Amino acid sequence: MIANDPNHVNETVRNFINNSINIDGLGDDENLFESGIVNSLFAVQLMTFVERSFGIEIGMEDLDVENFKSVSATAAFINRKSAGKAP
Amino acid sequence: MNAFLTREQNSKYAEFQEFAAAHVEPFAGEWDRAQKIPGSAVSLLGQAGYLGASIPSEYGGKGWDVVTFGLLNEALGRIDSAFTGVLTVQAMVSTALLKWGTDEQRRKWLPPLAKGEVIGAFALTEPGAGSAIQSLATGLKQRDGDDGLILSGEKQWITCGQFAGVFLVFGKLDQKPLACLVPRNSVGLEIEPIQDLMGFRAAGLARLRFNDVEIPSANVVGKPGFGLSHVAPVGLQFGRISTSCSALGLLRGCFEESTSYAASRRIGESRVGDLGMIQSLIAKMGADLEASKLLCWSACRAEDDHLPETFTKTFIAKYFTSRAAVRAASDAVQIRGASGCHESSPVARYYRGAKIMEIIEGTTQVHEIILGKGFVQDAVRRQLTRRREVSH
Repeated sequence: MIANDPNHVNETVRNFINNSINIDGLGDDENLFESGIVNSLFAVQLMTFVERSFGIEIGMEDLDVENFKSVSATAAFINRKSAGKAP
Repeated sequence: MNAFLTREQNSKYAEFQEFAAAHVEPFAGEWDRAQKIPGSAVSLLGQAGYLGASIPSEYGGKGWDVVTFGLLNEALGRIDSAFTGVLTVQAMVSTALLKWGTDEQRRKWLPPLAKGEVIGAFALTEPGAGSAIQSLATGLKQRDGDDGLILSGEKQWITCGQFAGVFLVFGKLDQKPLACLVPRNSVGLEIEPIQDLMGFRAAGLARLRFNDVEIPSANVVGKPGFGLSHVAPVGLQFGRISTSCSALGLLRGCFEESTSYAASRRIGESRVGDLGMIQSLIAKMGADLEASKLLCWSACRAEDDHLPETFTKTFIAKYFTSRAAVRAASDAVQIRGASGCHESSPVARYYRGAKIMEIIEGTTQVHEIILGKGFVQDAVRRQLTRRREVSH
């Protein structure tokens, strides 16, 4: 489990997503799902990665495209979840 | 003792093999001919706790790790892949509920699933949508006056559909994929048995027709829009693990039947196993068995460790093992000659069942597309990374 320093969270998420796609220069705010650069399995792979790396449990209440649509959104979700704040 | 497994896993594996020898092996041929697993046999699975293998103890399940679940599937699949079909679909429905069900859904359904009082079936495939699940036609619409839904459509090739007590059904609400629980006694649900499969004959497949079935909002699993991206993959992952390990069991059955025959059957002064041509077939079978075993157990361990690469490992395990099972079953029949073509030998049933393993839970071709694309993309990413490093 990785310590939840917000900068570290962003970098960790960006690294995982960069390793899951094959384009260069992905912006932190680029929509991963609208641009079609991720495959059909990516959603659950991202979920598994987030749960394991940050020790959080993603539940039904977290199922919102806004939480995972980009590097920034995912990092923000992780930070909120870790801090126990409501989305 | 197998060094790859813990002492507890080895002990459980031995228990599962004893169960299979006592309660499945004497009857598997009869079940296949009748195209039916008797309710008493399914009850035995429930009484042994095997239908709740992956369900946590707080819901009455065994809470076993995934490696142990895989060993259970392998031991039973060694005898009859149709019987492991019950384990497969039970795990698919229960893991989807564990992850995405509401507290109420978990409390209501997981205890009877764990005890085997209810069998769950995973209703995804349709007459017009098998590999291409994005093309689902089963539709839901809002019910007038409240937040319930109305379900219409058709599902096909639903394992254990003939006797399941609850179905996890996938459809679309306003083009958003959604999953919902449909009890067997729902008004408007028609269940039609599918008979005469070439293999897997006792697995109780069915066609389901939903004629304006009313779905209370409390039966929706997950949220609209996430049915195929999040709910289905959790269930399908366990479906692939179960099928991989069941195919491993079938492969093991082919190997053990073949080596036993080769060691005992005589041709003149020699054994069949002394013939180079037979040794060649058995060598390939044995190597495939060892490789499949390691791939399956590695996939199970990755799932236990919640690794993101568990999905790729499971695809590889299912792809390799199911194809190896088909090869092994063909060669097992060949080694036995005429007797392998007769139902008095289990290899005849293995031959028919192995092909099914290559098609269910994702065909070989779908796996090749996913894995091939993934491996190429990995190479593209490595090249991008190297270019970035050089430019810096």
